[in-house]
Amino acid sequence: MRRLVAVGALFLAACSAPKPAEVTKKEEPPKPVYFKVDAATAGTVSGKILFTGKKPARKKIDVDEDRQCAAMHKDGLYDESVIVNKNGTLANAFIYVKQGLEGKTFEPPTTPVSIDQKGCWFGPRVQGIHTGQPLLVSNSDPVTHNIHPLAQVNRAWNQSQDPGSEPLKRRFMQREVMIKIKCNIHSWMRAWIGAVEHPYFAVTGTDGSFEIKNLPPGEYTVEAWHEQYRTQEMKVTVPPSGKQEATFTFKGE
Amino acid sequence: MRTICAIPFIALTLVSCGGTKTEAPVAAKPAKPIGATIEIPTPLGLPPVPVPADNPPTAETVALGKKLYFDTKLSADETISCASCHGADKGYTDNQQFSAGVGGKLGGRNAPTVVNAAYNPQQFWDGRAASLEAQAEGPIANPVEMNLPHAEAVKRLNSDPSYKPLFEKAFGPGEITMEKVRMSIASYERTILSGNSPFDRYQFGGDKKALSPAAIRGLALFKNAERTNCVKCHTIDEKFALFTDGKYHNLGVGLDTEGELKDKGRFDQTKAEADKGAFRTPTLRNIALTAPYMHDGSQKTLRAVVDFYVGGGSSNPNLDKEIKQLHLNDAERNDLVAFLESLTGDIPK
Repeated sequence: MRRLVAVGALFLAACSAPKPAEVTKKEEPPKPVYFKVDAATAGTVSGKILFTGKKPARKKIDVDEDRQCAAMHKDGLYDESVIVNKNGTLANAFIYVKQGLEGKTFEPPTTPVSIDQKGCWFGPRVQGIHTGQPLLVSNSDPVTHNIHPLAQVNRAWNQSQDPGSEPLKRRFMQREVMIKIKCNIHSWMRAWIGAVEHPYFAVTGTDGSFEIKNLPPGEYTVEAWHEQYRTQEMKVTVPPSGKQEATFTFKGE
Repeated sequence: MRTICAIPFIALTLVSCGGTKTEAPVAAKPAKPIGATIEIPTPLGLPPVPVPADNPPTAETVALGKKLYFDTKLSADETISCASCHGADKGYTDNQQFSAGVGGKLGGRNAPTVVNAAYNPQQFWDGRAASLEAQAEGPIANPVEMNLPHAEAVKRLNSDPSYKPLFEKAFGPGEITMEKVRMSIASYERTILSGNSPFDRYQFGGDKKALSPAAIRGLALFKNAERTNCVKCHTIDEKFALFTDGKYHNLGVGLDTEGELKDKGRFDQTKAEADKGAFRTPTLRNIALTAPYMHDGSQKTLRAVVDFYVGGGSSNPNLDKEIKQLHLNDAERNDLVAFLESLTGDIPK
């Protein structure tokens, strides 16, 4: 009985209360409390992605689907899924903190991450993005592209993009390592984006090294991902204001 | 008895349209063409033209409709006629992404062709007009098109001595009314038919040399249910081909940079969720003459349109289930374009 009365009163109150002034404004979700890193004690994880074994042979890509694309690459287009650097390291490995940051919320940057469709190729091939950070997709080509992130945790989508059109602006809201990206019109185009809910990620370049800075001291699991050679993980301890080495070795087939 | 029935009908029409019209002409009884009904000849590849019982085409209404179609007097500043945006030399379009109306105001959708519009079950990209008659009067009053209130249009025509005899020959004695104007324009538009293209001569005329080998390969792809299934919506029947199912489909055309629909299309009429972003299937006849393409004129070339379909359009909640990624190589895409170019037929001037 008492419950009934209470419910009724609540209902009445909800109906008769004057509408608050901000009712027309879209209600913003409460801003999360972002974790602030103490610069005085923050440390670094750095290392290399080494490669051993047989370097795969260069594979020419069939660009028969679009002669305009073929015309942009007189010497042919070659598969870039494995790039072994001169110093025996791997490029395009994605390294990120997999575990150890639970309970901390990091503010996503407002500056966007970009991916361009140029020469019928995605650039960069591999990159990281903070969840919630804007991703700008541009088309610098004279042909239509149709970018298609095959996301499985995040929502998958594809969008046709004509030459000269404005960059698309999208976001990934959930952690997903990695999101495979293809072009629905040019089947050889491939890129990968790693979305993580913090800024602690890196991609190796032409010297195969990486550095993840400004980490709060603590114990972490760091994972290295490579498109061809999949993943490896390693537990590391970052001492206050210290440096921790983490070197991964991927083996060729 | 007939008039008693007609009065409630007119009253109803006035009520439902009252919100958008400044002054609705009150007709005692519906206008009717007085001349002999003519048969509209159809070129190779087209079925007989559907004609409404209350507006059979006559030589007089068609001729009057043609004069009105080309008359800039029907726009506020007398600069624009129907032909300005639907010109014979451009496949009855204007080859602009969006058409400039009076004062340079731009519309929001690409001007569709008038060619073979007689066969469309509804008119406009969103089907908001149920007949050519209803369509014909729309752009005259549309503020971003001809921007002339119907009452003013009728006043101008009534004070133009060249029109009075033409209307009387077409409809008998009486005032010029908007109803007579739209009936005449619609009857003229029913004669703007185009067929007898190389495709028609090949498909329906038995001339196997009318199409190039590339166009023949393109036609086979166009009809191939597994590989493209273009023909599912751009129909080819046994004895004729309209290249449209007259229905509304969402291809994901016109998304903004964040993937949201900029124009809800058919939804504006039906308020049905499934119609969000759906637009009327346009005919493909004379398509090589009517660039740019799609309801928003976003595609500049036929190859770009083919590439758009190859990519499976753009994802959105109501993407038509027929739209999926296609696997066509460069030569096949060009064959489809060659086929589309074979759809240019005889165009009435």
